[in-house]
Amino acid sequence: MFTNPSIPNKRLGSPKIIVRSGGDLLEKDSKGNQPIILLENMIIGYSEDKPLVQIPNLKIYPGEIVAIVGPSGVGKSTLLKTIAGLVKPISGRAKVCGKIIPESPLRGRLGYIPQNLGLVRHASVIHNVMLGANAGHNKPISPFLPIILPSIKAKQKAIQSINAMGLREKINEPIKRLSGGQQRRVATARTLAQSPDLIMADEFLSELDEETIDMVVNEVLKYVKMSNAALLVVEHDISRARKMADRLLVIDDGRINPFITEITAMEVEV
Amino acid sequence: MKEDDLSDISIFDRRYFYPVIFVFIFLFAIEVFNGMVSDWTRVSSGLGNFSSFLSEDVLPPDWSVLEPMTYPVCTVEPSILDFTCSRAWIGMTETLKIAFVSSVFGTILSIPIALLAANNLNPSLVSSTARFVLATLRSFPSLIWGIFFVILVGIGPTAGVLAMTVYTVGYLGKLEYEAIEGMNKSPLEAAEAMGLSKLETAFHVVIPESANDLVSQIIFMFEYNFRHGTVIGLVGAGGIGYYIDVSLKYLQYDRVIAYLIIILVVVLIIDFMSLKIRSLFTEELDQQKPNWLSIFLPANMIKK
Repeated sequence: MFTNPSIPNKRLGSPKIIVRSGGDLLEKDSKGNQPIILLENMIIGYSEDKPLVQIPNLKIYPGEIVAIVGPSGVGKSTLLKTIAGLVKPISGRAKVCGKIIPESPLRGRLGYIPQNLGLVRHASVIHNVMLGANAGHNKPISPFLPIILPSIKAKQKAIQSINAMGLREKINEPIKRLSGGQQRRVATARTLAQSPDLIMADEFLSELDEETIDMVVNEVLKYVKMSNAALLVVEHDISRARKMADRLLVIDDGRINPFITEITAMEVEV
Repeated sequence: MKEDDLSDISIFDRRYFYPVIFVFIFLFAIEVFNGMVSDWTRVSSGLGNFSSFLSEDVLPPDWSVLEPMTYPVCTVEPSILDFTCSRAWIGMTETLKIAFVSSVFGTILSIPIALLAANNLNPSLVSSTARFVLATLRSFPSLIWGIFFVILVGIGPTAGVLAMTVYTVGYLGKLEYEAIEGMNKSPLEAAEAMGLSKLETAFHVVIPESANDLVSQIIFMFEYNFRHGTVIGLVGAGGIGYYIDVSLKYLQYDRVIAYLIIILVVVLIIDFMSLKIRSLFTEELDQQKPNWLSIFLPANMIKK
């Protein structure tokens, strides 16, 4: 079913070495990196009666770009939320950015763009992006100060990300006055300003025109390459997912407990 | 099933019983009331009493309440501003001051408690404790708090401010935590995934996100406090209620009605202003201009 050898896959194929460490089975890639996401024997879902996805084993390494595809309602977003520590897994073990789930993730290391973006709608673009920039700094911001005051470094970072997303002119505009596409770019700028080790985005390219998609994807990929971060996206457009990702994770709903299969981009037929 | 086959429709369908249940409840209420009324002739003669009360005691209203008091001597210049030395003006401005100060203090105190009481931000133990505090403050009307603070700090507007502040914390706190709980989950999830602290999330995500609701409720609370501020003077807690109480004691009902008319006019003006200001903060009302008729009538009865 999934075969299309014409699509080259440059990123895959780095040999993986299995090492044992403290009783845990950890796998390192050729550069000696430990996985940024490690899921083992996990069953995810909102209740034990209705498990959504079974994941026997999943590892995502720094610098990797992975796309999750599958029909709607199958549990793609729930998988992302579980990795972000927002939904408790039914069973299994997960380690994300060095923390065992469902502990809250380390400050600023995980950038998450939810499907409905998670922006503070009544606040300005700069306020929203500063949330990310401040999360990227270890020092908590005082609740009683305006968010743009505390750190010059964070502010620079925020403005840099806003410029990269082409939102310079909208910097003081409240989110509710922006178009859907502009809001998506703000959410992306917020995550980039955070400088996370792992970016997780839930259909963050929908509602964008082709030109903007290229710009956003380029910026995100540039960041991933420069900072050796991992990118995990849920994408309903399989051809776009294939263009962007090193690996596709297909969640199949053909069974009572749908299971996750890992296949390479090379094997996917569109 | 054929279309004209009615055998499936039971005459014992509970929908048919709703009117019957309603009639029974109404009859039960009449019976309870009958148990409380010792003499029905007193109720029937009430109408006659009302007309003689209106013609002999109440009407015409005594507008001398708008004239300057004899003591202290009014020194306001020019004399056209004499009315600012009147009982009605002094009482009304005091009531407005009590409402304003207690709304500001009440807001400042209620926000932290409301943030703790919201169950989408805190574990249930914390939120239920904070809710208990708010419910306790709310469970006594401001009049009772007024009596309590008059005992503590004596007669005057200080007692009024304290009483209204305490009640505002309880009432506004409830409105605020409901607004916070009603907010979109997604910004909270993004903040949690980013690893922002609870305080950062509360002040930089929750408050800005629910700011419109909060501002709208604070303005509503001011309006509410003004209306109730007219009453707490009856127990000695300052404001126009104090002057109404004095007039009631001397059986000067014509003065009382003058005070009541003045209160009605000011309440309507404040209601309208509050409606206008709140419409700036409520997204649903962004599209339509508020109509002054909506102070009296439900929105669907006002012709566009």
